[in-house]
Amino acid sequence: MEKKTEHYDVVIVGGGPGGMTAALYAGRARLKTLLIEKSLIGGMATYTSEVENYPGFPEPIDGTELMKSFDKQFRRFGVNVKLTDVREIRVDCCTRTVSTFRTDYVAKAVVIATGNKSRLTGAKNEDKFLNDKGISFCATCDAARNTGKRIMVIGSGDAAIEEGTFLTKFASEVIVSVMHDEGIMDANKVAQEKALANPKMKFMWNTVVESFEGEEELKQVVLKNIKTGELIPMDVDTCFLFIGYVPNTKMFEGLIDMTSRGYIKTNEDMETSCTGIFAVGDCRDKTLRQIATAVGDGAVAGYMAEKYVEEMDYVQKEIFEAKGLTMAFVYNAIDAVDREFLSRAEKAQELHKGKLGLRRIDIYKSDRIACRLDYSKTPSLIFMQDGKVIENVTDLSAIENKIAEMVAKHG
Amino acid sequence: MAEKSLDCLGEACPIPLVKAQKEMERMAVNDVLIVNVDHSCAMKNLPDWARSAGHAVEIEEVGEGEWDIIIQKLK
Repeated sequence: MEKKTEHYDVVIVGGGPGGMTAALYAGRARLKTLLIEKSLIGGMATYTSEVENYPGFPEPIDGTELMKSFDKQFRRFGVNVKLTDVREIRVDCCTRTVSTFRTDYVAKAVVIATGNKSRLTGAKNEDKFLNDKGISFCATCDAARNTGKRIMVIGSGDAAIEEGTFLTKFASEVIVSVMHDEGIMDANKVAQEKALANPKMKFMWNTVVESFEGEEELKQVVLKNIKTGELIPMDVDTCFLFIGYVPNTKMFEGLIDMTSRGYIKTNEDMETSCTGIFAVGDCRDKTLRQIATAVGDGAVAGYMAEKYVEEMDYVQKEIFEAKGLTMAFVYNAIDAVDREFLSRAEKAQELHKGKLGLRRIDIYKSDRIACRLDYSKTPSLIFMQDGKVIENVTDLSAIENKIAEMVAKHG
Repeated sequence: MAEKSLDCLGEACPIPLVKAQKEMERMAVNDVLIVNVDHSCAMKNLPDWARSAGHAVEIEEVGEGEWDIIIQKLK
């Protein structure tokens, strides 16, 4: 099977709230935009039964419902959507290629919005009961199936306590395993109070999972008291894990800078260490991972991607598609010596008017245009013939003579 | 390369997953299974399982809230 190639201005990898917002901004800026999601649009937000802190919705809203609205909104702006998984991203000087099983998507800019996935406990037999065999990460998905059943929740953060409380609407008993001392939870205070007052919730303090037991399906979770070492077997139908997340960034290792825990480092414009690649949402190194912050990241990245694509298009048209002899003067506007050479170059160009063009490339804010010309230092003068570099001059002491010589030879 | 369709419309989790797993066992390498689903939960667990089992997965949105999950058996 041969791979197809398609071209886009912006390709967004990941269809959670961050990715969808980036798509909304890019689409609205009339960029040719593609969003790739590996399964269900909405990402981790669809795992939340009640979103209480996303502004604009005064009453709690189901995460899946909220994501459906996001989905509807960004599609209005002509964004293409492909539901498949990305295998890798390849980078060369001016394009980024997002590769899937069947297609290579060539893009000017890429936004990584791959989010997080649930962390596992690492306890014995865990892998035997994944994929709907008794271990779940999604209360909204598996609540109805546990009507009247006894279930277990591992963890004490917001997700564990809020989703555990939600599950009491279905299950007969919800056992919560917390590794901290009695009464100590990581969740917000409101959620803690609700949970402690809920008669269907039972807390097992100072415990972690030792092993998962059962034949085909999960039957029992063996907890271990970390203070006494005591093993406590408990029969349950489903065990929900809410013990934090790990970023979905493995495929970008070696391509962009990350923290030791695998979160992508960006600046406040969502730019990663790799030019033209932006990162947003939960997979980014930041303090607070929420729908609200993912949306903010997405808006910035969508806007920055627009600026970036604009710049690339300008460079393409004005420099690489320019006819005849052109010189690009690469300089730093805050450097007095650079400015002096610039005015000498401008005067010299005046003498040969009509025979060569001049493009001023200031690297003060960003040197990514200059990088495409392989500049090594400022000031430098790069001569181009029909869009191709013919000479890169860094010794500008005799700049006037050099320009005259080039015009005589190529002009 | 044979192609087979599996109608799971109207079926809730984990039925589409269990049906697809059984069907895949009977198929040969490189065969393609198309599972029709309309339960959003199947969009999470079915592709997840298929990928973790080493197969290739793509999804087509057939209509609003209705999808074809296309799985190619790779081993």
